[in-house]
Amino acid sequence: MADHGRPDRERRKWRGPKYALALPSIIWYSLFFVIPIAFIVVYSFGTKDATRLLPVDLGKLTTGNYSEVFDDTFFKTFKSTLRISVIATLMCLVIGLPVAYFAAFKVSEKWRAIILALVVVPSFTSFLIRTVAWRIPLAPKGEFSRWLMDIGLIGDKGIQLLETQTAVQIAIVYNYLGFMILPLFVAFDRIDSRMREASKDLGAGRVTTFFSITLPLAGPGIAAGVLLTFIPMCGDYVTATVLGGAKGNMIGSMIASQFSQAQNWPLGSAMAVLMIGAVLLALIVGVVIVWVVPRLFGLLAPVGESIRRAIHRRRVARALAGTTRKSISIDINRLVMAVWAVLVLVFMFIPIVLVFRHSFNGGSSFSIWSGETSTKWWGELFDGGAAWVVLVRFVVITALALVVKRVLARTTDIAPRRLNWVGPGGFVLALVVNGLVSDWFRKIFDFAGIGDAIRNSFMAAFGATVIAVVLGGLSGVALARRPGRWAKVFMATVFLILVTPEVMDAIALVTWFQRLQEVPVLGYVFKNGIGPFNGGMHKLWVGQSLYASAVVTLIVRARLSGLDESLEEAAADLGATPARAFRQITLPLISSALVAGGLLSFTLCLDNAIISTLVSEAGSTTFPVALLGATKSTIKPFWGVGAVMLFMITMAALAFVAVVLRRSGESSSDIAATLAGN
Amino acid sequence: MTTDNTSNETSNGKIPQLRMLAPESFRTKLTRRAIFQMGTAAAGLAIVAAACGGDDGGSGGGTDTTEGPGSTEAPGGTLASGDWSRVINAASGTLAMYTWGDYNDPLLVGQQAEDAIGVSMKVDYFNSNEDLITKLSTSGGASGFDIVVPTGPYVPQMIEKGLIQKLDTSLIPNMVNVDPNYLAQEWDPNNEYSVCKNWGTTGFFWDSTVITRDLVTWADFFDACMNEASGNCSVIDTGPNVWGAWCWANGKDWTSTDTADLDACEAFLVDELAQHIKKFDSYPSTALAEGAYALSMAWNGDARQAYFRIAEAGGDPSVWKWALGSPDTELFMDTYCIAAGAPNPEAAHAWINWVLVPEISIQDLQYHGYHTGLKSMPQLIEELAPDVEFADMIFFDDAAVATMHTQVINEAIDRQVEILNKMKAKAGA
Repeated sequence: MADHGRPDRERRKWRGPKYALALPSIIWYSLFFVIPIAFIVVYSFGTKDATRLLPVDLGKLTTGNYSEVFDDTFFKTFKSTLRISVIATLMCLVIGLPVAYFAAFKVSEKWRAIILALVVVPSFTSFLIRTVAWRIPLAPKGEFSRWLMDIGLIGDKGIQLLETQTAVQIAIVYNYLGFMILPLFVAFDRIDSRMREASKDLGAGRVTTFFSITLPLAGPGIAAGVLLTFIPMCGDYVTATVLGGAKGNMIGSMIASQFSQAQNWPLGSAMAVLMIGAVLLALIVGVVIVWVVPRLFGLLAPVGESIRRAIHRRRVARALAGTTRKSISIDINRLVMAVWAVLVLVFMFIPIVLVFRHSFNGGSSFSIWSGETSTKWWGELFDGGAAWVVLVRFVVITALALVVKRVLARTTDIAPRRLNWVGPGGFVLALVVNGLVSDWFRKIFDFAGIGDAIRNSFMAAFGATVIAVVLGGLSGVALARRPGRWAKVFMATVFLILVTPEVMDAIALVTWFQRLQEVPVLGYVFKNGIGPFNGGMHKLWVGQSLYASAVVTLIVRARLSGLDESLEEAAADLGATPARAFRQITLPLISSALVAGGLLSFTLCLDNAIISTLVSEAGSTTFPVALLGATKSTIKPFWGVGAVMLFMITMAALAFVAVVLRRSGESSSDIAATLAGN
Repeated sequence: MTTDNTSNETSNGKIPQLRMLAPESFRTKLTRRAIFQMGTAAAGLAIVAAACGGDDGGSGGGTDTTEGPGSTEAPGGTLASGDWSRVINAASGTLAMYTWGDYNDPLLVGQQAEDAIGVSMKVDYFNSNEDLITKLSTSGGASGFDIVVPTGPYVPQMIEKGLIQKLDTSLIPNMVNVDPNYLAQEWDPNNEYSVCKNWGTTGFFWDSTVITRDLVTWADFFDACMNEASGNCSVIDTGPNVWGAWCWANGKDWTSTDTADLDACEAFLVDELAQHIKKFDSYPSTALAEGAYALSMAWNGDARQAYFRIAEAGGDPSVWKWALGSPDTELFMDTYCIAAGAPNPEAAHAWINWVLVPEISIQDLQYHGYHTGLKSMPQLIEELAPDVEFADMIFFDDAAVATMHTQVINEAIDRQVEILNKMKAKAGA
């Protein structure tokens, strides 16, 4: 390292470009997000030419596709998509807010953790199977409908909801409710309770306190919740495909069908471009409302003030009169909220219970209960004994690890903190050993050809998570520690990735991969499947890593910007090289953010259906992709078995991570906070 | 890899000697798993039956008549009489098929295929030929699928785009079992790229408690859809099918490219019919059992499945009626092809060849409910599946077949798909 006569401290600082750490992400996003999306924009001005392998003629550019989208018929779908999404977002907010409020303020620490867990758990069951499960109670000739007819609640036509917009609306609220409750809870949880107490001490009633203190302070959480629900809803095409019928058609499925069925890429591209435009517009409107509403409250403040005074006067008068109405009303209030929370949680578990029950369906179709309980689908799981062998190996190795831990604790003086790693280590070893001596996933699940799908899901999610953690970790550090003009551009890209509906990413990537195959060397690798590029797994890694890495970037950046740079500076002062300072100071600081981000991306990727369906190949079909394929014909009950198993494996993995996090000293609130991306 | 297809093991009326053409390991699997453990005697016996034929590429043949160990429940245990080729080639590895929904007996793409030819199968589904073509062309020959199942008229453009490869017909000796009527179609005159999987037709299926009158023609179908079944009616999710139904309702030829016809079709389907449609559903059978529709346009095999599903859901199948669309309707023939760049062409050939064994083919037919195109079909059914349910939905008399017409891919296809997409947009509005 050359000395240019600068002070010692300066010399040991990283002197490359400020964006150096973010360079991998910059390359990745340019290659797999910016350029592909740019091509979509270009295609949107082309004309369809079905005779080509890549059916777009860019010879004559036209804006005709856009005017076609604004054509009455297509535009109506646009409007109905936005309407469904806006209504669903508002419903999520209205339904979720009391639950989050209740969990944050009205219950003990223990119950708080339980409620949060109950909110999160359903989302670890496959998104798709939960959506399919809604067909069961909604079916006009299903049991539920018949029961309602029997007790005379509805007419003899049954529930007329399946394949309607209402069904989509119900399922979409259901599917995204958790994404609303979690950030709301975190926002409420972070409010300093003294603020609320002060407000009450100053004579504000509960309602006034809520509207003038709690709600404004929770603003960012509400914004996060709205973002996390509204954007995916706009691009959702799974819910509409599974439940919607013609009336529940949403723009996402229409865009996908322009690409796959009509082979009209230009029109599909124009729709996609307009859709992201619409999403951005909706966000701007949302921001304006968020900006305007508090000011409106400000305008209304005198009114509120006088009401508040009046209420306060009455209350004082009542208190003087010796009534105890206030305490009763608090209890009633809490009771109402508790009942509401229970109802919401029951709602969230309806499909889970149905998935479990229908995995025991004796009939041939998942959604039609045959009236006969059968363990035949589960029996297949243990058929051939492979499952037992694997199970025994698991138990034996993990038990051995625990014994080893005990023995070490008694005979040696290794610090307990280190010994705590032996248990989880044994678990990992059991995974590895089982993986080495057998392709156990395949053996256990291969009763219905879903073994490969389940294994592929894990491989895809794992690969994408590794990519996301590395890219997101590096760029998060760069953003927090080396801001500059580049950071604004970079953050804009990250924001774009987060707000781009998934279906648009998907089509951009599909068409891009096809172009990529014509690039000399890279294309050869991509096309012929060399090494890890075999079977199309790499396409899933690319596709799933985009959103996941953007999430990790934000989490890491948020974590680091909360801590000032003095520690790293001190290390540099003490003579540490930038690499060493990074390894010994920065990395431990962000490790919990990395774990939480990795966890979040893993669960997101495991459930990814939209990008995966469009980019996957036969060799890389994941569970959601295969299930989405099966929805086109008959879903057999063994999908329920697969979903339940997938759920249990995910829960086991989560429990493992939670243990590790506990060990590294994170509290459950922190975990929830990082999970919610705050 | 061909495992012994030269020696001729005719049994001359005696119980045939069990002669395995598959690896040794399969024998144990067969007895243990397929017959006893799986509990599907019919399936297991079908393998035995198929495996013991072993004719020399069909030229010799013999009278493989045997009572078979099967009961009446296991017609598959019986060998069809007559001149049949029953070559089974072994293969290995995974075999990926991209096909239409619910289009093969799950055993034939599962355990039974693994036992008989030693490949483990993976099946994925598409909704329309266009979906298939997009999937193959966007992956540029690296889709990973081995067997694909396009409808006949789509074969030429798939050849032209380089999406499917030539078959090695020497690996498909059982092709001699196919009725010559279903070979050498105009889209592939020498069967260099495709083999008939099965053929079927289109009609409609309705709840007679909702629509009490009798529906006969496509015009009746549209009328019921816009009246009694308004908002409770589904149509098949492909452009050609909705176009075809309109043509047949209006006495037009569905191979027409006349712009005036297409305009009139769009005007009716988009502006008048679409608002009454509940869903564009190519496989309505499950949703029918759930009670989602009162009237569905359906392919004959799926409509037949609907009867089974309705019974399973505790409904009353007898109130549901099926009619073949008239005065004219579709004749589609779906074909087995091998994708360009298929990872395991050997297994693909072996599997295609295997499902052409008469007993296997009839087993498949009993599941999906489509005529598989083998020769002497009436005799085969009489011997192997005399009690096949809803036979009138699988087999049609000559007069009915005369009203069925094959699709022609011409410049109107884009417009047909466009009409479908506009219908979808309109129906959702």
